[in-house]
Amino acid sequence: MTTTQTTDTKIRLDAVRLEYVKEEGRSRHLAVESISLDIRDKEFLVVVGPSGCGKSTLISAIAGFLKPTGGHITMDGREITRPGADRGVVFQEYALLPWKRVIDNVALGLKFKGVPKAERYATARRFLAITNLADAEQKFPHELSGGMKQRAAVARTLANAPEVMLMDEPFAAVDAQTRMTLQEELVRVWEQARLTVLFVTHSVEEAVFLGDRVVVLTPGPGRIKSIVDVSIPRARRNWQEMNQDPEFIRLRDEVLVQVRGQPVAA
Amino acid sequence: MTRLAPRLHDLALGTLPFVLILVAWFLLPHLLDYPSYMLPSLGTVIDRAIGSIEDGSLLENTLASLQRLAIGFIIGNGVAIPLGIAIALNRHVADTLRPVLTFLQSIAGIAWVPLAIIWFGIGQGAVVFVIANTIFFAGIYNTVVGVESIPNTLYRAVRSHGGKGIQIFTELILPGALVQIILGLRTSMAYGWRALVAGEMIAGTNGLGYMSIEAVQWYQTETVILGMILIGILWLILDRLLFVPLEQRTIVRWGLIQR
Ligand SMILES: Nc1ncnc2c1ncn2[C@@H]1O[C@H](COP(=O)(O)OP(=O)(O)OP(=O)(O)O)[C@@H](O)[C@H]1O
Ligand SMILES: [Mg+2]
Repeated sequence: MTTTQTTDTKIRLDAVRLEYVKEEGRSRHLAVESISLDIRDKEFLVVVGPSGCGKSTLISAIAGFLKPTGGHITMDGREITRPGADRGVVFQEYALLPWKRVIDNVALGLKFKGVPKAERYATARRFLAITNLADAEQKFPHELSGGMKQRAAVARTLANAPEVMLMDEPFAAVDAQTRMTLQEELVRVWEQARLTVLFVTHSVEEAVFLGDRVVVLTPGPGRIKSIVDVSIPRARRNWQEMNQDPEFIRLRDEVLVQVRGQPVAA
Repeated sequence: MTRLAPRLHDLALGTLPFVLILVAWFLLPHLLDYPSYMLPSLGTVIDRAIGSIEDGSLLENTLASLQRLAIGFIIGNGVAIPLGIAIALNRHVADTLRPVLTFLQSIAGIAWVPLAIIWFGIGQGAVVFVIANTIFFAGIYNTVVGVESIPNTLYRAVRSHGGKGIQIFTELILPGALVQIILGLRTSMAYGWRALVAGEMIAGTNGLGYMSIEAVQWYQTETVILGMILIGILWLILDRLLFVPLEQRTIVRWGLIQR
């Protein structure tokens, strides 16, 4: 049960505006209009919204890849200006380095920090075990299935002990069966790791299954439409129970209405 | 099935055209009437090979050529790869160098022989200059393309896991560009090999190209043909010994190319 959640703000978005500036035409594309949001320390926050509403753009900005054209993004009160190991990103396309074995991919961030080989392998193995990849440590990424690649990507980020994990539709590219397994694993892993997670998805079910809170964005340019609290205990967060959980079904439908703008039969 | 069987199969198939050429060469004098200096028999060429092995000239010329190729290869790629990376990574470098490189590319290689002779005189310097020049232009764009083709998400993954500066270079840019860099090494060596032969013919004082062109004066066609065969064989060996294992150990293993 996660009633011990603190309410300290980890990341604060203050009237954040994100635009893509096209160099030649001087034209701008508004991706995120104005978002103000506090991401609490050690919470699992899910952002859900239709394709093109600016979810990836938002992640990029928090990761430090993209500067807001308006407003401020701060972490622990300090402005985010560049990417850093304190904010690990898990990408939809896995983004594993093809020339590194799984274990070296997972140990990547530790290598960057200068952790000695034996120590970083020990840490990497710990996270490979947690993500059920112990047997695959000597493989190269192209020898893994989609689900295994995604686990490796999660292990890589967790092994680097970031303060915040930013996940951009990490399970969108795997089959439905694998996705459910990965979601359950993530619930379990997050309970052990206890870090702040910002998880982006366009799947309402996934959002409610994973999140402490679900932020619904409007179709692009993105704004916050509503925020839904999900207080289903972590212990119940497995698909077998959740599929019949009235609370889950109610919240899922509520979020679905927010996303689609109309009710849907359960 | 053992692993050997398909290998033998490949080997047999690959050898077949060579066998056909040899058979044709052997039969030709019996079918057509021509003076033997135009196309000496296989036997004459083999005799010539044995003779030049015995007097040491073949080894000397081969080593001279290989040494030149190696020097040209190292200089050419030693400049091309870092410069290619700089062009790919820095817009100012790219904007500055692209026009002049495109201009020079059209006259790369053999067209430089006259100037090379004037600058370095007949011999080693001129030939190496031409080889290095050829290799540089044959290889540089592969490096540029290689670096430019590294997916943006990989940069982001590396940076969001704490990679900075030189780490990005060694852990991402170099391995990420390697498919193209190896292709560039291979292509450039093939072009360099041709430039070597041509360069030696015009500006050389020894080497396989020089050996061939000098033999023409004495109508030693067998020496010319011996030179051609050796050039081909050496390239085959270099390719097998150098590039095939290099690819196998890196980009094939990483699943970046299928083989
Ligand atoms: N590099 C870019 N240059 C210009 N416009 C972009 C760029 N990347 C995204 N956009 C635009 O910004 C808007 C938001 O894109 P974004 O990728 O953030 O959406 P998303 O919510 O992640 O969508 P999806 O669910 O399909 O991944 C879209 O209209 C898109 O066309
Ligand atoms: Mg996206």
